[in-house]
Amino acid sequence: MDNTVQKVWDKAQAKANEGYMRQRKVSIDPITRLEGHGKIEIFMNEQGNVDRAYLQIPELRGFEVFSLGRPAEDMPQITSRICGVCPTAHHMAAAKALDDLYQVEPSATGRKIRELVYNAFMLEDHALHVYVLGGPDFIVGPDAPKELRNIVGVIGKVGLEVGKRVISMRRRVREIINYAGGKVIHPVLGLPGGVAKGIAPSEVAKFQEIAQDGLEFARFTLQVFHDIVLKNDAYLKMITSDAFTHKTYYMGMVDKNNKVNFYDGQIRVVTPEGKEHSKFPVQDYLEHIAEHVEPWSYIKFPYLKKVGWKGFVEGEGSGVYAVAPMARLNAAEGMATPEAQKAYEEYFKALGGKPVHHTLANHWARVVEMLQAAERLVELTHDPELTGKDIRTLPTKTPKVGVGVVEAPRGTLIHHYETDERGLITKANLIVATLNNSARIAMSVDKAAKGLIQNGNVSDGLLNKVEMAFRAYDPCFGCATHTLPGEMPLLVNLRGADGSLIREIRR
Amino acid sequence: MVLALGNDILGDDGVGFHAARSLGTEFPEGVDVVETGEAGLALLDHLEGYDRAVIVDAIATGRCAPGTVLTWRAEDFRDMVAPSPHFAGLPELFHLAQRVGMHFPQDIRVIALEVADPTVFRETLTPQAQAALPAFVAEARRVLSEEWGHAPRRTACTSTL
Repeated sequence: MDNTVQKVWDKAQAKANEGYMRQRKVSIDPITRLEGHGKIEIFMNEQGNVDRAYLQIPELRGFEVFSLGRPAEDMPQITSRICGVCPTAHHMAAAKALDDLYQVEPSATGRKIRELVYNAFMLEDHALHVYVLGGPDFIVGPDAPKELRNIVGVIGKVGLEVGKRVISMRRRVREIINYAGGKVIHPVLGLPGGVAKGIAPSEVAKFQEIAQDGLEFARFTLQVFHDIVLKNDAYLKMITSDAFTHKTYYMGMVDKNNKVNFYDGQIRVVTPEGKEHSKFPVQDYLEHIAEHVEPWSYIKFPYLKKVGWKGFVEGEGSGVYAVAPMARLNAAEGMATPEAQKAYEEYFKALGGKPVHHTLANHWARVVEMLQAAERLVELTHDPELTGKDIRTLPTKTPKVGVGVVEAPRGTLIHHYETDERGLITKANLIVATLNNSARIAMSVDKAAKGLIQNGNVSDGLLNKVEMAFRAYDPCFGCATHTLPGEMPLLVNLRGADGSLIREIRR
Repeated sequence: MVLALGNDILGDDGVGFHAARSLGTEFPEGVDVVETGEAGLALLDHLEGYDRAVIVDAIATGRCAPGTVLTWRAEDFRDMVAPSPHFAGLPELFHLAQRVGMHFPQDIRVIALEVADPTVFRETLTPQAQAALPAFVAEARRVLSEEWGHAPRRTACTSTL
């Protein structure tokens, strides 16, 4: 080994040891950690080109330790506190894990109330993403000046009335969530076998009206997307550009007809060619998903076990897969509701057929999903069973193992608990949505960095382009950031061939 | 109102809740005290309809010693641009509420306690945060009583009986 290689090797070794020690620490310390602040490490080679770029995203580490010995029934409350952005997703995945743990099938009404709440949440969260997060890139435009690339810029473009509509629609849809779960810091809704509170028939008319408004809003959003984004060739070109494309496997939950389902169903995986690779109940997830560990990161990279880990590479031979809206649409054979189905067909037609590999298409796929969530809300609010009295099936069996899954806005979310015979947690494992995407996100960041740094020249647009590459996934690192309000803690470290820090770009 | 942000299972991230509980006892009338684990635009729902708000939260700027009490007014954030609801939160809310003409607090004070590490899963505060809690509460109390004229309730334990 020559000197330089030796140095890089030693450095990697040291990092691996450090990572290992940190992991060790988790197992002996009664605390666990939530880490990562959008840190990107870029390793350069001797020619001044990018050797490898990495994004560090936070991961829940050793959450197990925190959960040990607690009653399983507390998990929907505990896990809903993991994230301030999507507590409902964790709450619901936990409630479903409890059903499985106590081997109890929720009553029809209990299930429908959960579905109602969950679709309301999906609609609201997606709407926020489209206007607030994706908005700066799409509605305002990727080349707009920096000071306009925010919600105020979005409102400037779509108009004040639309801004008001986004806010009021969101609030009204949340009324459904608050009614069922209580407007409290820890939602109390999901119990093994059903829910804690029924829906009074007197509320139904209001919920129907909210659902209808939600549907109209989703339709309107599709129109906005058409008018502003799809009529602009430059945007379409960018969506389909090679810089934002990776041909990987895709995962998503489907119903018995292989249509997209956010709340329940089996997990379906398709190949980069769009063929069904596997379909399994979530209880079998350990047979299908394994986790790869890299020395430079404390985060794990899930991959398809039956395909195997071949590194950060695309194609049928590599087990890297993606979740979230684009992946869900790829992994299913259609949408479960008519208007969403129409939007789905249009989406694939415009983007050159199925599957779609363009990461930025996530923004569009999200709008298609908004329609399904809204249509499903309308259906559920007109379902007489929604107001039934039988809201819960009481569990009678001895608990042992329970696995629950939902499609969170950001992708497949799995909760896995094991308990003793009293129902006290002995093991807890969560696979959060962003974790499923971690390998593909790393590939996207790497590709963006390689395109922007050549022969030692670092393009000034680096931060924005790299950000766009991972923002489409909407990675969940909000919970870990407690910096000064308004500063996105993005840090890029450029490192030389010997691993030494050449330049730090911080914002 | 007093709006406490944070996460009570992430150790010091829950320090705002501790402050809120104490303020809730001190100001049983005239001041609504709300605790939330939510982030981003969800906070609009909590703040809408109030004229004045104190927001208490933990912060990790890494620029001051843990235990330092930091205060801002909403206007201080006006020039900042935040690209994501995951990071943005408050400044973006202020802009948005103002822009769409909501009934939103015109006077917002953000009182934050610098903490060493709000990423540790546990239900109690570190000794550092615990020690700084009285000063943290005192700053919020000062704004509520001295600046905004809310009278704190006198309790048997107060020396000012």
